[in-house]
Amino acid sequence: MEEQVAIGKPTAEHGVEGDVETWAVELKEARKTYRTGPIEIPALRGVSLRIAPGEFLAIAGPSGSGKTTLLNIIGGLDRADDGEVWVEGKNLQLLTSGELAHMRLERLGFVFQAYNLLPVLTAMENAEFTLLLQGVPVERRRERVQKLFLEIGLAGLENRRPAELSGGQQQRVAVARAMVTEPVLILADEPTANLDSATALSLLDVMEKLNRDHGTTFVFSTHDPQVMERSRRWIRLRDGQIASDAAHASHILPP
Amino acid sequence: MSGVLLLVKIGWRNLWRNPRGTLLTALALGLGLALLLVSLGLLDGLHEKMVSDGVRFGTGHVVIQAKGYQDTGSQDLLLPAQVVSTTAEFLHTEPMKRLVRGVSPRLLASGLLSSAANAAGVGIIGIMPKEERAVSLIPSRIVEGKNLTDDEQSGVVIGAELARKLEVKVGSKVVLMTQAVQQPDREATDPGEGGMQSTLLRVSGIFRTGVQAVDAHVVHLLLPVAQTLLGVPGRVTQIAVLLEREGDSLMVARDLRKQLAGVAVEVLPWRESMPRLVQIFRLDQAFNYVMNGVVLAMVGLGILNTILMRVLERRYEFGLCKALGLRPLQLAVMIIGESLALTTISLALGLALGSIVHYYIATFGLDLHWLFKGGAPSAFVFDPIIYSRLSLSRIVSSVSIVFLTTTVISFYPAFKAARTELPDALKVF
Repeated sequence: MEEQVAIGKPTAEHGVEGDVETWAVELKEARKTYRTGPIEIPALRGVSLRIAPGEFLAIAGPSGSGKTTLLNIIGGLDRADDGEVWVEGKNLQLLTSGELAHMRLERLGFVFQAYNLLPVLTAMENAEFTLLLQGVPVERRRERVQKLFLEIGLAGLENRRPAELSGGQQQRVAVARAMVTEPVLILADEPTANLDSATALSLLDVMEKLNRDHGTTFVFSTHDPQVMERSRRWIRLRDGQIASDAAHASHILPP
Repeated sequence: MSGVLLLVKIGWRNLWRNPRGTLLTALALGLGLALLLVSLGLLDGLHEKMVSDGVRFGTGHVVIQAKGYQDTGSQDLLLPAQVVSTTAEFLHTEPMKRLVRGVSPRLLASGLLSSAANAAGVGIIGIMPKEERAVSLIPSRIVEGKNLTDDEQSGVVIGAELARKLEVKVGSKVVLMTQAVQQPDREATDPGEGGMQSTLLRVSGIFRTGVQAVDAHVVHLLLPVAQTLLGVPGRVTQIAVLLEREGDSLMVARDLRKQLAGVAVEVLPWRESMPRLVQIFRLDQAFNYVMNGVVLAMVGLGILNTILMRVLERRYEFGLCKALGLRPLQLAVMIIGESLALTTISLALGLALGSIVHYYIATFGLDLHWLFKGGAPSAFVFDPIIYSRLSLSRIVSSVSIVFLTTTVISFYPAFKAARTELPDALKVF
């Protein structure tokens, strides 16, 4: 059972009221329309929301509801046509593409639905890819990746290429790569879509543990009931607008 | 730096995701380079042969003749008497002695050679047999009879075409008629001077070079006989000098000019005395450059096609890299690195293939007799067996040009990869 809350309004359970710097993510009336020739497809129609640091939330909705668009805009992979998008106190609308790339590298992590890894790199090389781009020396890179691999059950698989890993193992490597730069926010777009339920649960265990132990904010876009079940907050999208925004019943704090 | 190395590593490994495809592409491109090298080797070999045969048919590597002879060809223009001995002395001293293979004084004139059956206009060359053999190829092409000897005052050596036309053979009698030379510094008091002169000769040898113009036109007789006939005792038209190395032509010509300073002569290296040969070279070069340009364009398009296909196939991968924070320039570097790696493999294969073919043709020659039906291919090449000659500078310049071309060409696919649009590139379905 979920507590229903007024659409778009955060509450004390969700985060601390205050200015933009205290929120991991804040959107104010974000809009996005895709144009294909003469046809216009509104993907987001004025979305406002706030995500506090350390949240573990799912954005759910039918296909075409705007989930991926919302995630892309939060992650700086796309720009809103209108409205404000703040991540870690920075207005993404004002950043250049170079600054967005820098922000993605330094502050964000991404886990995609499939084909997350560079096929010609080993698991270790894929995981340390972003650290390499940051210029972290090799010893520190290896140390951090190996520690993470141990934590998420990938020890011993460092030298395997993606083709030699199972789907679940590949997604774990993607999670390791996302985590290794110690980001404040990880955006996962349907990370369990191509996994069987057991593997999906196992992956969720890993991400939940990382969220608990490291305080990293996780935002999922998902259809998967297992993901929604594990999330502490659900945001439902319909036709590019927030239909509901509620804490999961099991995560509501007692008064 | 480690980021650049990673990008290079990714580029190199990407080549081997499809090893067969990469090797096939490299082979195709390598064949282009091999073709370039082989054609350049053949061209240089042909030119070397044209020079070596051409100078031995013509005026040698360096020629000394009376001033103005190159432009007019007038048989009245003769070298001053002392030039022959001065030149011979100079060329027998060090260091010239080591550079010179032969020195042949010649008296040149036009005339009419008649037999009982016919008559033909001829080019008369008065020679000293031993000296001429060291310089000219004609004495080595005797097919009937023998070369002139010093004691054969009435002997004449003619070409096979001329013999056929005059219906003569070895031992036949012929009459040679020419106009005696008008000496500009004397009154025409001698009744023979400037008038027609003739002499009876016997055919002692017939040569065949395969060059129609030579076989139908040139006659050799002893220098003293020609001098008497033309009324110019002790005089010659030119001194042909054959060197051990073509590359010394300019230097020897320069030193001879210094030695003969103040004398009314022209000392010409073969490039100046045989301008037609130089023109043929230039035409060959121009044609070769066009052909090589076509080959280069094909190689470049091959690389462009391969890299562009790879870029278009990996759009998602590039989107992923950009999503993770890779900058457009870094992505471009990765693609250029991949292209350079493919080019390097192609060049290595091309060099190997080209070297093998070049070695074979350099050693055994390419026989083009079938193309010329037994005749010579031109007025400058007697023997249509071409040996490839490929210098290090040619190889380096060819490889450099291919490398630079493919590098420049790879900028377009690199630019395309760098402009991969997020988030479209990340759409899986």
